[in-house]
Amino acid sequence: MGFDYLSSEQVQKIHEASLEILKKIGIGNRSKRMRDLLLDNGCKEKGDRILFTQDVIDKGLKTVPKSFQLYGRRDNYTLDIGAKKSYCQTVVGCPSVMDLETNRRRDCLVQDLADMTRLADALDYIHIVSPLFPRDVPQEIILTMETAILLKSTSKPLSICVESPAELKYIIELLAAVAGGRVALRQKPLATMPISTISPLEFGLHPADALIDIVEAGIPLGVEPAPQAGATAPISMAGLVAMHNAEMLAGAVAAQLVRPGAPLTLSSRAGFMDMRSGQGLWGMPEFGLAAAAMNQMGNFYQMPVAPGAFSGESKTADAQSAMEHMHNALAPALAGSDILGSAGSVDSVQAACYKMLVLDNEISSVIQKSIKSPLVDEDSLAVDAIAEIIEQKGDFLGHKHTRKYMRSGALWTPSLIARQTYEQWEAHGKALEEIAAERAKELLATHAVLPLADGLEKEFDAIIAAAKRELMPSDAE
Amino acid sequence: MVKEEVLAKITQYVFEGDPELVAEWTDKAIAAGLEPLAIINEGMTKGIEMVGEHFAAGDYYLPDLILGAKAMDAGIQKLEPLLAGINREFIGRVLIGTVAGDLHEIGKNIVIMMLKTSGFEVFDLGIDVPSRQFIDKAKEYKVDIIGISALLTTTVSRQKEIIDLLAAEGMRDKVKVIIGGAPINQAWADKIGADAYAPDASAAATIARRIVGAGA
Repeated sequence: MGFDYLSSEQVQKIHEASLEILKKIGIGNRSKRMRDLLLDNGCKEKGDRILFTQDVIDKGLKTVPKSFQLYGRRDNYTLDIGAKKSYCQTVVGCPSVMDLETNRRRDCLVQDLADMTRLADALDYIHIVSPLFPRDVPQEIILTMETAILLKSTSKPLSICVESPAELKYIIELLAAVAGGRVALRQKPLATMPISTISPLEFGLHPADALIDIVEAGIPLGVEPAPQAGATAPISMAGLVAMHNAEMLAGAVAAQLVRPGAPLTLSSRAGFMDMRSGQGLWGMPEFGLAAAAMNQMGNFYQMPVAPGAFSGESKTADAQSAMEHMHNALAPALAGSDILGSAGSVDSVQAACYKMLVLDNEISSVIQKSIKSPLVDEDSLAVDAIAEIIEQKGDFLGHKHTRKYMRSGALWTPSLIARQTYEQWEAHGKALEEIAAERAKELLATHAVLPLADGLEKEFDAIIAAAKRELMPSDAE
Repeated sequence: MVKEEVLAKITQYVFEGDPELVAEWTDKAIAAGLEPLAIINEGMTKGIEMVGEHFAAGDYYLPDLILGAKAMDAGIQKLEPLLAGINREFIGRVLIGTVAGDLHEIGKNIVIMMLKTSGFEVFDLGIDVPSRQFIDKAKEYKVDIIGISALLTTTVSRQKEIIDLLAAEGMRDKVKVIIGGAPINQAWADKIGADAYAPDASAAATIARRIVGAGA
């Protein structure tokens, strides 16, 4: 099933506008390393901005890999990024969480990071895990701590958003320890690392330096600016997509100049501003439509795409959030997506929610069914079966054709959605979010994660201790 | 043209958020011999108050509010050479900025517009502001309130640093501190000893008015 939100003519026009933006307006930047890289490769400087030339853009776009593999630490858990499989990734960076018992928002703690990660590990249609941002760890080494907890609490692939290069060394050491060395990590990356440049069209200092370091380390990069239409980007869809596309292409080109062939994803996150309150919204339907449009742009360039998707305005798991997440995830999925981000989020990704992660798993399962075209061949067209059944005055229920296709997944099987008689519902019916809460509790009580190999925890402790010594010198004894 | 008509035009164009026309009609008002303070108080302020009323009533949105404030600024700029030595009346002074290491400014800018339309004099330090600078400028401008914005979870701790610096300078009881930003909440404000947390721009203006005793 496919969805062309933009016609191919519109894609072409937006592409041309994006190039014009890169060449005329260029990108802001505060990193000397990034400046040197871009100017050495032929970009021009105009005031405090760096302008791209057609030659630099052509050179950069030519070497972006169409696909790459992402690995979990469990055997045979390999994701084909580039094959448009709409893998589901959990939300990154929430400093708050909806408490599973009280359904009230509170600070995210280390225990929540471990629990949310373990819950994601248990849910079949969650494929990649990103960290929450717990507040009860020293903020100087937060990403190092998060990476260690993620690796302990799931055997699935990770995505670790890096705000600055400060902790990168330790994050990579942790991943390499699990992968069996740095060479092994490059060959079979266990994580993507998105960086969030600043909209409109600004690399900043830390995101720019982190981009260079991630690419040099051979870890797949995510280029993830997050513009707000109407505030930090045009409010018109065409202008929003043209500018967002330009800032992502700038990141992609820069990455290729660091190391041609560096794997990356274009990770769109185009929200909009509420024109009354000034709140940044990742709401329905514009967020999902912009993600669909951005996916079409990425697919036009044949680059992997990883938009934010499972998002909405609702403050908790309820009818509103289910509606919002379904729309915002399905629209980009149908336009062709490699990864769909933000699962388990509420309130425009300001808070994480256990129940919502369980609901998003169900939505992800529907999406997996919906993106695949049905099999159409002689057997599945079933002309012979129809003839036989009509001749024998039988029914389809008692025919082998039905059994065969039922077993091969003709019907989607829900794990949460209730399918019962009215009487059963009247007697035992529950709200979907209540079922999701029970499922979350049950999985947290029972799910065991594949343990780390012997000796790894000790290695982790040593790496964390080294990070503390370097990044928190005042705490040293 | 009679003076009332010129002032009515200025009011109208501030209300419609048209900086070019407000500048043009301010020139005409000056040429007609109107007093600068009369142009502000009977022309522009009326317009910006109407903007505020329509925003509160729900038929004006943020772009209307910001363009209204910009239109008024365009007129004020024309008057500036004539305003030397004349004190405009403000309900209070606010210093505002985004913390060091953080380049996000849109939320802060909306707060600034809200504060200006509420009658505050606002000093904007911009983005990526070293903590020390908040202290130095607060002293220099003798502000009533400091507003500190942070969006990144890795930069929010700068808000605490600034509050601690204020205390170290013996200034903590002289200024009120309002904090804001996507990862901020009341619990964080309590923890670091901020006077208030503003969940959105309207709330920031309401809190600021309450602080200076101007009511909500």
